[in-house]
Amino acid sequence: MVQAAALDRVRDLLGAEAVVEHAPVDLDGRPVSATVRPGNAEAVAQTLALLEDCGLAAFVRGGGGRLGVGNRPSGGDVILSTERLVGIDVFEPAEGVCHVRAGTTIADIRARVNSEGWDVPLDPPGERSTLGGTLAAAAVGPRCHGYGLPRDALLGLEVAFSTGERTRCGGRVVKNVTGYDMGKLYTGSFGSLAVIEAAWLRLRPLPQQVRCLEARLSGLADACAASLTASRRESSRVTCMASGVPGLAADAARVVFELTGDTAAVERDAAWLEAELGASELPATAIDALREHQGTFPGEGGLRFRIGALPSRLAALHAALQAAGAEILSYPGLRLVYAGFRLPAGDSEDAADRIFRAVAPAAAEAGGGCLCESAPAWAKAEREMHGDVTALLPYFRALKHRFDPGHILNPGRFAGGL
Amino acid sequence: MPDLLATLRAIVGDAGCLSRPEELLVYECDGLTLHSGWPAAVVLPRSRSEVQRVVRTCREHGVAFVPRGAGTGLSGGALADAGVVIECSRMNRIHEVNTVDRYAVVEPGVVNADLSAVTAAAGLFYAPDPSSQQVCTIGGNIAENSGGPHTLKYGTTTNHVLALELVLPDGSVVELGSPTGWAPGYDLVGAFVGSEGTLGIVTCATVKLEAIPERIETLLAVFPDVVTACRGVGEIIQAGLVPAALEIIDRRTIAAVEASVYRAGLPQDAGAVLIIELDGSAVVLADQVARVREITTREGATRVEVARDDAERQRFWRARKGAFGAMGRLAPDLYVHDAVVPRVKLPEVIEKICAIGDRYELTLSNVFHAGDGNLHPNISFDRRNPEELARVVAAGREILELCVEAGGVITGEHGIGSEKRDFMGLVFDEADLAAMLRLRDCFNPDGVCNPGKIFPTTRFCVESNPKARGYARVPIG
Repeated sequence: MVQAAALDRVRDLLGAEAVVEHAPVDLDGRPVSATVRPGNAEAVAQTLALLEDCGLAAFVRGGGGRLGVGNRPSGGDVILSTERLVGIDVFEPAEGVCHVRAGTTIADIRARVNSEGWDVPLDPPGERSTLGGTLAAAAVGPRCHGYGLPRDALLGLEVAFSTGERTRCGGRVVKNVTGYDMGKLYTGSFGSLAVIEAAWLRLRPLPQQVRCLEARLSGLADACAASLTASRRESSRVTCMASGVPGLAADAARVVFELTGDTAAVERDAAWLEAELGASELPATAIDALREHQGTFPGEGGLRFRIGALPSRLAALHAALQAAGAEILSYPGLRLVYAGFRLPAGDSEDAADRIFRAVAPAAAEAGGGCLCESAPAWAKAEREMHGDVTALLPYFRALKHRFDPGHILNPGRFAGGL
Repeated sequence: MPDLLATLRAIVGDAGCLSRPEELLVYECDGLTLHSGWPAAVVLPRSRSEVQRVVRTCREHGVAFVPRGAGTGLSGGALADAGVVIECSRMNRIHEVNTVDRYAVVEPGVVNADLSAVTAAAGLFYAPDPSSQQVCTIGGNIAENSGGPHTLKYGTTTNHVLALELVLPDGSVVELGSPTGWAPGYDLVGAFVGSEGTLGIVTCATVKLEAIPERIETLLAVFPDVVTACRGVGEIIQAGLVPAALEIIDRRTIAAVEASVYRAGLPQDAGAVLIIELDGSAVVLADQVARVREITTREGATRVEVARDDAERQRFWRARKGAFGAMGRLAPDLYVHDAVVPRVKLPEVIEKICAIGDRYELTLSNVFHAGDGNLHPNISFDRRNPEELARVVAAGREILELCVEAGGVITGEHGIGSEKRDFMGLVFDEADLAAMLRLRDCFNPDGVCNPGKIFPTTRFCVESNPKARGYARVPIG
């Protein structure tokens, strides 16, 4: 009844089109049957203030592809969707910057800026990925080796707090140290501190030339070393090493490369890959397929981890993950590894337990942390999806408390159950 | 006071604790001589443990503390008015250089240029290169998110810091980030870089190393005036080129440089020169040099020179990097301003800035990171002349207002410090600043760590805890 009354208040405030009631969607055990869709940034803030006033918590949703990331929610009554915050307000081809609303898809931004010779340096898996969702999740894909991380593309940000306040940080210029770099804090916070309304982005010039190649390498240590060397070629935008894949020998790897930049550099590096690694041409769409695979493998009901890994420890990490039964995609240049595990029917709980216990030390040994990006709800029970954050938890708590005092933004999802 | 000094001396040793007036004089200000304040004491710890003990001692005595690197900052960020300066210059060890994973683990007092000198043999360098890189320290660079001429291609300090160890204002130690550059949870490394020493004191940093480019080409394009040079920059950017640096030196700066020990043989009849640096492999640079030559000539350059060797390249850069020093000949004081505008607005903004200088009858020259839209209008003056000083301050404010109206911001690399805290309202409203204070209050709730910086003291009642300003003014001695 409380929720129905609150939804009526949202309708009164923002119009009937701002609320959609639907069949329950199960979000890791929380059935949610209403989506609030504010039509503009001001309405986002109004919605948040109203939800907080009613004591209702929101799952913040962009394209929806990463709605399930994180710990089991400790609350959550409605979905707050940015789907109506769509559009590129400003695009300045002479400057290489644009101002985009949070619900705009990366694909739409790319289509718009490509026409003027620019590229948007964001590469999240999922065709429906939005700008807000990509920044909130700090989502990366294969091309982020060349593009940089999402935070690097960000010039300025507008956000709304759960209290209904709206604030800006950064700006539209490409160099800026005016005040704290709040954009870094919100990027990768999974909507736990604020809801992103819009952002200023720094674009990159489209390259003269793009080529895609692949090589099959044997011997994990040699493959890792060769992949790392390849990733450091001047025109390397993607170097992705796949191992533990059905059809590949245990110690073999398929390595996919994308070379971009000035034609002379691309051709020189392609010749090097062909001569040194026996690489052969792939269609340009291979990278898109790779990115989508990264976002969906190992499929429904499996586990997928994002792991930070130093290049020098990549081979050991591959070996440890493969021993635990992983399918692996690794980006040596990005220092990131994605490991997917299918769970056997009948033995799922024990298998999940073994996998979590294998991944955590392997990630620590590799020099980085780990985040379980995808897991069935039952596997999240009593488990931390964000790796070991114990030492920093008091500070995370303090931030959550100050930025979202009512704990109504994605409650429980973030590290430490925040 | 005697108790405090005695305790500090017991921690850092007699040689590491300065308190006599003649010792403190050098700490009266940083590179911004307009703002000054007298610290109670300066301590030079040698380890994280000593930093911790100094911080705890200051807290016990209710005294503010201010981290300081080499003191080359240009916004009064290291000013400690009655507080204790914690200078990290004795923490200058390079703990590790990992050439495979391309990172270095350094203490905060390592001099910026020294790190690249150490890693050069392995073909690696540390990319952020502020003009003061021969003396400024990595810790100070992290606090200020320092840039430099090569920011255009390589980014600022924040793009090169992987992990941090800090002593927080309560004396506790935290480790943030990881050498992989990614760690689960909030991106606190990103939030700490550029926080101007208000969230804690860096005691160790893991920073990225980059491969030294195979080849560097440096061009010098001579333009009839600075506005035309700015248009040339816009065309280079729009052509999709990403030079390592795009730096403009105007006529007045050229005159100062050519009359100084930094003389570089620049044409004195030029209205401005544009230094364009391209780096990468030889196979791409020939084409890029040709494109830049074609663009700059088309946009009005009367001459374009390509450095024939490293000596000539150094000569071009001597003019750029020696510019601030050369201006010391023009007047006793130099106010190095710092603001950013959208690059497309450079031509009109630079024209208006020159007009502001003329209207206030000031000696104003420009040498700046044009590729980033990062302006440095430099005003030569004599602070002993109060009437001239008033004109300098008024012109400075007008310049900032102009840049903000053009869509820009009030600092691109020098930081806010004490210099621009009262101009923050030009860019941000109270809610924006309150959000920043929420972050600060998680780590420095009573404002005891570097008080009086970043947040305005007028219009907005900034220091959320009134004790904060009291800390800065605790009477000692």
